[in-house]
Amino acid sequence: MFIIPKLQLEDIFACAQCGYCVKKCPVYYFLGWESTSPRGKMFTLKEILGNNSRLDEQKIHKLGKPLSMRFFNCTFCGLCKEVCHVEVDLLEIWSKVREVLYELGIVPESIIKLSETVKQSKNIYMMDNTSRMDWVTYTGADVNFKDSAEVVYFVGCITSFSGRVQSIAQAVSSLLNYVNEDWTLLKDEWCCGHPLVLSGAIREARVLAFHNVEMIESTGAKRVVTGCPGCYLALKHEYPRLLGKKPKFEVLHSSQLLSTYITSGRLVVPKSDITLTYHDPCELGRISGIIREPRVVLQSVTDTFVEPEYFGRESICCGSGGLLKAVNPSLAESIAQRRYGMLASTNVEVIVSACPTCVQTLAQTATTMQNGKRVIDLSQLIAERIGLM
Amino acid sequence: MTTSDKFLSELINRLGQEYVSVDSLEKLVYAHDFAALPKFVKLLFNTTPDVIVRPKSTEHVTEIMKLANEYKIPVIPRGSATWGFGGTVPVKGGIILDLTGLNRIIHLDEKNGLLTVECGVVWEDVIRFLRKTCWELPTYPSSALSSTVGGWAATGGIGYGSLKYGPFVKNVVKVTAVLPDGRVIVVDDNSDPSLSQLFGSEGILCVFTELTLKMVPKNEAEMPFMANFSNFANALMAAQEVLRLTRPHSLVLRTFGFVRTKDYVESDAYFFGCFNDNRRDVYEQYLKLDSIVNRYRGYLVPEDEARREWEERFYTLRIKKWGPSILGNEFIIPVHKILDMVRYCWQLGNQAHLDVEVEVMFISKDEALMFPLFLCDERKPIRYLMSAAIAKKVLDVAIKVGGRPYGYGLWNFPFMEIAEPEKKRELERMKSTLDSQNLLNPGKTIGAEVMLGLPLPGKLYSTFMDGVWVLRKVI
Repeated sequence: MFIIPKLQLEDIFACAQCGYCVKKCPVYYFLGWESTSPRGKMFTLKEILGNNSRLDEQKIHKLGKPLSMRFFNCTFCGLCKEVCHVEVDLLEIWSKVREVLYELGIVPESIIKLSETVKQSKNIYMMDNTSRMDWVTYTGADVNFKDSAEVVYFVGCITSFSGRVQSIAQAVSSLLNYVNEDWTLLKDEWCCGHPLVLSGAIREARVLAFHNVEMIESTGAKRVVTGCPGCYLALKHEYPRLLGKKPKFEVLHSSQLLSTYITSGRLVVPKSDITLTYHDPCELGRISGIIREPRVVLQSVTDTFVEPEYFGRESICCGSGGLLKAVNPSLAESIAQRRYGMLASTNVEVIVSACPTCVQTLAQTATTMQNGKRVIDLSQLIAERIGLM
Repeated sequence: MTTSDKFLSELINRLGQEYVSVDSLEKLVYAHDFAALPKFVKLLFNTTPDVIVRPKSTEHVTEIMKLANEYKIPVIPRGSATWGFGGTVPVKGGIILDLTGLNRIIHLDEKNGLLTVECGVVWEDVIRFLRKTCWELPTYPSSALSSTVGGWAATGGIGYGSLKYGPFVKNVVKVTAVLPDGRVIVVDDNSDPSLSQLFGSEGILCVFTELTLKMVPKNEAEMPFMANFSNFANALMAAQEVLRLTRPHSLVLRTFGFVRTKDYVESDAYFFGCFNDNRRDVYEQYLKLDSIVNRYRGYLVPEDEARREWEERFYTLRIKKWGPSILGNEFIIPVHKILDMVRYCWQLGNQAHLDVEVEVMFISKDEALMFPLFLCDERKPIRYLMSAAIAKKVLDVAIKVGGRPYGYGLWNFPFMEIAEPEKKRELERMKSTLDSQNLLNPGKTIGAEVMLGLPLPGKLYSTFMDGVWVLRKVI
């Protein structure tokens, strides 16, 4: 039996079934059936609640895999929470349900594989974790491995291992060097644990959190910077909850750091007439509230910055959030194509984002299109404009 | 192969597997609408659909209706299910016709300001689409972020902008509708049946599939406003004077009665709305509003705050979080009876020990749409059932003072005989002509049926609810 905490129980009943979340949901947009919508899932939850605010295990087992697929066919983009009529924290509920499903072993095969992979290899690619720093050799980046530093650059699995976006790590490193920051990489970085939190594997995520916090704190760093919104979310918001204490460092996303450098005059970017649009990553914009900073950076580069249809808090997911790419790759691809279409229709030269997953997904989609646009990360854009790459 | 198997296989053959579902989870979530159903309802009605279909065209709807006739299976049309009167809840299983897949904006006649859309288009998409044009919607529902154009045509059709531009029915040129026998007709003001006969028929006479809407040229200026008052009577009088002296796009009055603070008698209130016109007229109207608000000792809030309230206009149920459930009703009432009705709602809330929010949307100088909400908790089933009778009590009095329900559906059907007997006769006549097999949304609006097709007499239902109310006092 799983007891739903009181506040979340109130929320399940408070859901007005108004449907404001339905049309916004990027998954519902393609699947179309009510049960795949946030409203449908909330109603389902209400129906599988037994007496005394407990999720009825028997009912969950009876509904089995189809139920589980409804909750894993979700990008965790948080748009449902954003438009919620009664301000229900739907992301919190989806997390809790995934946790329950994971505990009961009713999760898609790909999720079990992923969590096993992370548990064993400490990264999401089943690579030997000692090869995590191979990107340094591949890109020729100038990096530091110090025992102590002011700033730790937490690279993250995707940026470290995925060839398409390793240049983001190169860009961030070169920018940190350019402003003479006292920084270092971690000697033994592990996956941030966010994919495990999204899988519902909380206990396993806690192990990773503990290791990473210990590693970061051993450097005495006051600040950790990451270019990955998933890592940012884990380090900033999930770790305090997983570990029951606030780590002794401040967490910043690279866009925040760049914005500070630019506004303080530490970093001067030559303006050009390049035309740009910006895709707000869900975990950075809507969920973490970092919307202004990337725009400060972009506006330092060009005056011809065009907002796409749906931006800021209203931005639409690229399709790769919430582990959807692992659970339902074709659906993730459809969502990516939709979002790419919106961005490309701004008729700009370059699409910019501030997330390795979004950049990777949108760039991949661009290659399948005729005259596909260039998709790059914000840090790459700045490093290029300054002439560091 | 049983009849239902045959039906299903033929349905899939004609439409394609991707448009049909018999999944048990799907059946679960399509068995309800906006309102939380008390458990006893499931004893009276078979609310679980047999199959859910998501048509993509008028031709699909026609096919489904023909097949339903052949196999005598009920069809329940459904938009976004944001109406709380049980209009999309099956009462004897059948086919749920989920129309949200018909969601194309077909054509904008830029010259004449006529927009043709499919029935499943959500209002917000229409509003967004029109931003790039020189036209705007005259009226749209308060649930515009999720409700569909076809859904609003089938139900009330009163919302924001109705005060200035009239109800939805006055802003539609023609519609394409599928009749219960599967025939497709194009309906306008002069056709037989006419637009006004089919509009608001709550899905018992036809399924709207395409609608051509009248737009209005975009106004030069838009000025939201909001005014707070220390008591409801002053707010109401000020609102009436605003109606008399200005031409607002919308005017909505809200007040709250809280059991916990005993704040019923002198509850504060506020109204908000918007002027849209040319710049000069908007400015002049705003000056008039300012002097009216001052005269009634109100406080006109700063423009940015008023704009925020206006942007929040679709979020009328924020208060539900404190329930976490709500009970309520919606009815149209003469403006001069608003004060009496609000007091009666407070009285009922006090008796049932429930907090109340009352929202009044003015639809003309003489009439308003009233929406009282009583906060309750469905997790306490006995108390919830007892309190459910409050929705009937409030409507009883509204009708007595000259009001009429905004909709009938499943829950308000007994009131049609009392509130609008002529309309009921007309609907009954049309129902028997157009749907002799009673397949389209049966057991709604003009009469209900319980399990096994037994009729549920309106009087029995009313007496039951009255009994529940009395029982509540005893318990």
